[in-house]
Amino acid sequence: MSIPSGFRELTEASGFAAANGPWFEKVENGRTIRGFMPGPQHANALGIVHGGMLAAFLDSAMGTAVWHTLQRRAVTLRLSLDYLGPGRLGDWLQAEGEVVGHDEHVVQVKGRLYGPRHEVLGGLGAFSLLSRHRTLKARS
Amino acid sequence: MPDDKVPPDFHRVDFDRGRPDPTFNSHIGNLYVKRGAKGTRDEFVMGFRVHQHMCNPAGGLHGGMMMTVADLVGAMGGGTLAGLRKFLPTVNMTFDFVAPAKIGDWVEGRAELVRATRSLLFTNIYLTVGEEKILRASSICKIPSGDGMSYGKAKLDRGAEVTAKRSAP
Repeated sequence: MSIPSGFRELTEASGFAAANGPWFEKVENGRTIRGFMPGPQHANALGIVHGGMLAAFLDSAMGTAVWHTLQRRAVTLRLSLDYLGPGRLGDWLQAEGEVVGHDEHVVQVKGRLYGPRHEVLGGLGAFSLLSRHRTLKARS
Repeated sequence: MPDDKVPPDFHRVDFDRGRPDPTFNSHIGNLYVKRGAKGTRDEFVMGFRVHQHMCNPAGGLHGGMMMTVADLVGAMGGGTLAGLRKFLPTVNMTFDFVAPAKIGDWVEGRAELVRATRSLLFTNIYLTVGEEKILRASSICKIPSGDGMSYGKAKLDRGAEVTAKRSAP
């Protein structure tokens, strides 16, 4: 598996993320980009990447954008996703989120997931900020 | 794989008949389906037991797992309610994460058919633990013309579901 340069594996992943990984991340010009290489274990009946896997991955990238932008932990409240094109097995897929606004409780995040040739998934989400005092292990 | 303590009438869906590698639906599983009488709340129910490999580091059911199952319930369940027997690619899904679930919970997913046009299927989906709702979702699937582009492979997927139904007592 060839990983594009600059990406590091998210080795702290456990549970769902670890079972469906490895997932990778890099920070470029202040933007956090996540990537993974889809294999047969990510496929649906049509042999393309399962919509649930795409949703999970974009959600994780959008949650990470909240952390890197506001230094606050957040959980997903609402996520709206548009499936724009198929994700192909063996094509490196990337996802990133952008914080577009927030108040003291809720953050609005735009997200996109794309392959080498086209957009795969577009997202808009609301994330609920956790209290600064609450200790929670990193989401991945 | 730990014991799923499957409630009565649920049957495991074999998504991988004839395939060398497990696909995503098996990889994240096990997933079960119960088929009730037509027109009842339980006409199509998908269920699963929450295990560690479906959870986030905090030990709660991962949102990605909820979204995956809701997606399946929208396409398979919604398709069943609408009497469609082909693979329905998802066009849009919107999820509201209402409550968490934890390891050991039995989660069920049901679809409500909102409308089926010639080319689109609109459904609402709820995931529940007991009486408590944990996820509300709405889904739009495309209904492919004819048998759909890849009906041959998708039929295997449907076939597994039918097998599960046939083997029901």
